[in-house]
Amino acid sequence: MLALKNIHKSFNDHEILKGIDLKINKGDVVTIIGPSGTGKTTLLRCVNYLEKPDEGEIAFSDFQLNYQSVKRKDILRLRRRTAMVFQQYNLFKNKTAIENVMEAQIVVQKKSKKAAYEKSLEELNRVGLADKLDAYPSQLSGGQQQRVSIARALAMEPEIILFDEPTSALDPELVGEVLNVIDQIARSGVTILLVTHEMSFAQNISTKIVFMDQGKIVEEGPPSQIFNHSREKRTKEFLSHFNSNYTKITTAK
Amino acid sequence: MFESNIFFQDFSGILTVVPYTLGLALLILILGILIGGILTLIDQYKIPFLFQVAAVCLSFLRGTPLLVQLYLAYYGMPKLILFFAGLLNFKFDPNQFDPVITVIVSYSICFSAFQSEIIRGAFMSVSYGQIEAAHSLGFSSVQTLRRIVIPQAIIEALPNFLNSYLTIIKSLSLAFMVSVVDILAKAKLESALNFRYLESFAAAAAVYWLLCAMLTVVFRRYEQNIRKKA
Repeated sequence: MLALKNIHKSFNDHEILKGIDLKINKGDVVTIIGPSGTGKTTLLRCVNYLEKPDEGEIAFSDFQLNYQSVKRKDILRLRRRTAMVFQQYNLFKNKTAIENVMEAQIVVQKKSKKAAYEKSLEELNRVGLADKLDAYPSQLSGGQQQRVSIARALAMEPEIILFDEPTSALDPELVGEVLNVIDQIARSGVTILLVTHEMSFAQNISTKIVFMDQGKIVEEGPPSQIFNHSREKRTKEFLSHFNSNYTKITTAK
Repeated sequence: MFESNIFFQDFSGILTVVPYTLGLALLILILGILIGGILTLIDQYKIPFLFQVAAVCLSFLRGTPLLVQLYLAYYGMPKLILFFAGLLNFKFDPNQFDPVITVIVSYSICFSAFQSEIIRGAFMSVSYGQIEAAHSLGFSSVQTLRRIVIPQAIIEALPNFLNSYLTIIKSLSLAFMVSVVDILAKAKLESALNFRYLESFAAAAAVYWLLCAMLTVVFRRYEQNIRKKA
């Protein structure tokens, strides 16, 4: 359904993405894992053009885009098929929960207020926030804000939802509620591309795990392969840090 | 020594020019915001040439007293207009030139420097994440500006604009220097009749103070009202 071809991206001579190819089928839950600074987030941001890749192509089943020759119309088209959930939620601060979900439906999809309201109610219900419709973001906890932002993404009925470390800014108590919502969405058949450091969660919900290191995809495959029978040394090394429990380092090297 | 009946007489005399002063200050504020907005645009988009000109102008406006700017405008503007009138071949009589125009022009330009800062700060206060969120949902740049950025920037800027309004009202006391009659000027005129200076200036102070205190209360209520939403 979605294919990325040969994505390259540099920031000031520093090459972040060194040619990424990735295929995602409808209903897939693809999780990108890997060390920080590897370009996971950058790749995600390239998919809906918040970053402009220097080179590469993105293809949907009926629509193709070469990043070297994009028109504004294509960017909007691309963005209207994808939705993004940010690490910092990025809710519109001057709007209530339901207005946050309604806004893009009215502005972008040109829906009537009533239709947008009903759709928003349904999506807020889905993320378990039917009782917070009229709360402003400042009145919501981080977990609740993130769930509103998930509802906002869902309401656009995108072909794929991009999650950029959705639980990294949350304190441990609130991580669970957000993961539950994502899990439930994943099982309802929504296509998902996720960047996360929650390894056991990734193992549980993903249909495919992509391990990235230094701007390249090192290995990809089903979770059982990556987590238990990895073929690459670097993958094993990275994942070994998550299997061992915390032990205090007493001797300096 | 302090004649209270003269004080009250002056007080009510001064009150008659309050609406005029408020109106004049409002006009200056609005023009200042408009010019300030243009300055902000020039500054943000770094429009070549205009950008440098604006930087020099802003430096001058911040670096010279308002009274000096007022005198410059008062003596300079009629000559400037006369020069351009000569070029464009229409009639202009500097002796008929209304000094109120001088005040409006020079104050608007002077205060535009401050309005420009307020506008810039208000736009910067809207987090970039929200703009990205709007873009990722498929908003065009104009839609993002209109639906997300401007509504929040206005809430941020309004209290500061209202603050400027009070500053302008008080600064208009200098306008008598070019024979425009505001609150202070009216007080001088009142005292010229009976030489009771203390009473009339006390009355002027009372009018300023009352006016600003009342406006402050109104503005604060209003601010609390709009802040509730954000």
